[in-house]
Amino acid sequence: MTWLLAPLSHGFMLEALAVGTLVAVTCALLSCFIVLKGWSLMGDAISHAILPGVVLAWLIGLPLAIGAFAAGLICAIGSGMVKAHSRVKEDTAMGVVFTGMFALGLVMISQITSDLHLSHILFGNILGIEREDLFQTLAIGTVSLVLVGVLWRDLQLFCFDPGHARSIGINVGRLRLILLVVLSGAIVAGVQAVGVILVVALLITPGCIGYLLTDRFGRMTAIAMGSAAVSTVVGIFISYHANASTAGSIVLVLSGLFVVALVLAPRHGLLALGRARRRALASDR
Amino acid sequence: MIEALLVPFAYEYMVSAMWVSAMVGAACGLLSCYITLKGWSLMGDALSHAVVPGVVVAWVVGAPFAVGAFVSGMMAAGVMSFIRSRTRIREDAVIGIVFTTFFGAGLFLLSIFPSNLRLRTIVFGNILGIADADVVQMMIVTGIVLAVLAVRGRDLMLVIFDPSHAKAIGLNPGLLNALLLALLAAMAVAAMQAVGAVLVIAMLVTPGATAYLLTDRFGKMCGIAAGLGAGTAFAGAYLSYFLDGSTGGTIVVLQTLFFLAAMAWAPRHGVMAARRARRVAMTARAAE
Repeated sequence: MTWLLAPLSHGFMLEALAVGTLVAVTCALLSCFIVLKGWSLMGDAISHAILPGVVLAWLIGLPLAIGAFAAGLICAIGSGMVKAHSRVKEDTAMGVVFTGMFALGLVMISQITSDLHLSHILFGNILGIEREDLFQTLAIGTVSLVLVGVLWRDLQLFCFDPGHARSIGINVGRLRLILLVVLSGAIVAGVQAVGVILVVALLITPGCIGYLLTDRFGRMTAIAMGSAAVSTVVGIFISYHANASTAGSIVLVLSGLFVVALVLAPRHGLLALGRARRRALASDR
Repeated sequence: MIEALLVPFAYEYMVSAMWVSAMVGAACGLLSCYITLKGWSLMGDALSHAVVPGVVVAWVVGAPFAVGAFVSGMMAAGVMSFIRSRTRIREDAVIGIVFTTFFGAGLFLLSIFPSNLRLRTIVFGNILGIADADVVQMMIVTGIVLAVLAVRGRDLMLVIFDPSHAKAIGLNPGLLNALLLALLAAMAVAAMQAVGAVLVIAMLVTPGATAYLLTDRFGKMCGIAAGLGAGTAFAGAYLSYFLDGSTGGTIVVLQTLFFLAAMAWAPRHGVMAARRARRVAMTARAAE
């Protein structure tokens, strides 16, 4: 009991739990669309590409989040343009654009002496989150959730059957852009709070857990959001007691849940698939 | 003026940094042709993040970092192919899950085993401060990768372009894919010490993508990519002396600029050439 209660007596732990859960739930919701759309590595690309935006925003005195958001969006749109206007494959286009932007950010950051902490930007520090970052994260998270909620049906159709969506008069290009905007926003909010690697994990793994466990989209999002929230809370507790990296702990718990789903999922898990194969073999005989 | 430009060559550490970068750049460039054509661009991303737990474990048990990194990269690749072949999850998602898990495990281990390992060095690399032993290690790895490509490069190419034909003439595509993966992991480990985990991805993708825009012949593509990799790495290391900053960053910015230039002005596959071709087609139609 004290194991559970001790961390809760610290204000910063409560804040970390609240912010962490909100970021996790937002990213998890988006992860369902992303996993179905095949955009899994877009999160990775955008979250690295925000670096030059952050540095530029710092130089001209804008809020860092705005620079990060703009750079993230440029990366997403730029990759799409490189793919559309040249014959390189989509993954290559993404790789070229985001590493180029990241490198630019590194060169820029080496040119300025600042109190910008690179490791802070990249690895996040949920336990030491600043008050204004806290509000920013809360605001961006809420806006993302509301936007996705409003556009729920359209986005779902866009992911499953873009051709049909287009034929019933939905503007697919605009929807794509909206999804990218929400994604960039969530990444910016998440990276400040929890760091790049955790955001990337939160944008992929929860959706996959849901995808393994059910065939219905509504349930899939619920499972994704639930598992992300649970791993965040458990991960933060573990990191408090083991004095270990918070982002690392959360990712490991989340991946643990994924492995459980992978093995035990009722219809798409490894055990179920093995059982089905054996049964098919037996009936053949 | 000229003297000022030659200053970097007066420092032994700069000269060795430039040559080491150029060699790693050439080997990465060569490998990047296979990787971009195979569609494994983000595999380099995944593997270069997945090596982190291996580095930490190697530090804890006192083994060479490169060995730990390589083993952990290959383990990640093995887990990926296992999950992909058994479930309905898409390949990109599998890659993402596995590499974040490995990187998360690396962060976790790093935080519970207090060490003098700096995540910064793993993620950003440090070519200027590289130790002689590491240089030797990098040279050996690069040499092995080049030798393997010299011997089995043709087979790998055949498997990439036409797997069924490759199988028909008695090659084993599964084995050759594993070989390419091993080369990728080895090269990622070697180059990581020079430019860091994130920028390795660029070195393993961008030169190949640039060369792919410039030519339709695989032999030429390899030559262009290796030359670009070596040239940009050498020039980047040189320029970073004057910029007084991130060597890896400078190298990759140069590579990206070359890619953008190729995308605009490539003789047949560039944006300009496509526009010209369209215009020619339009006037031809108007003339009819």
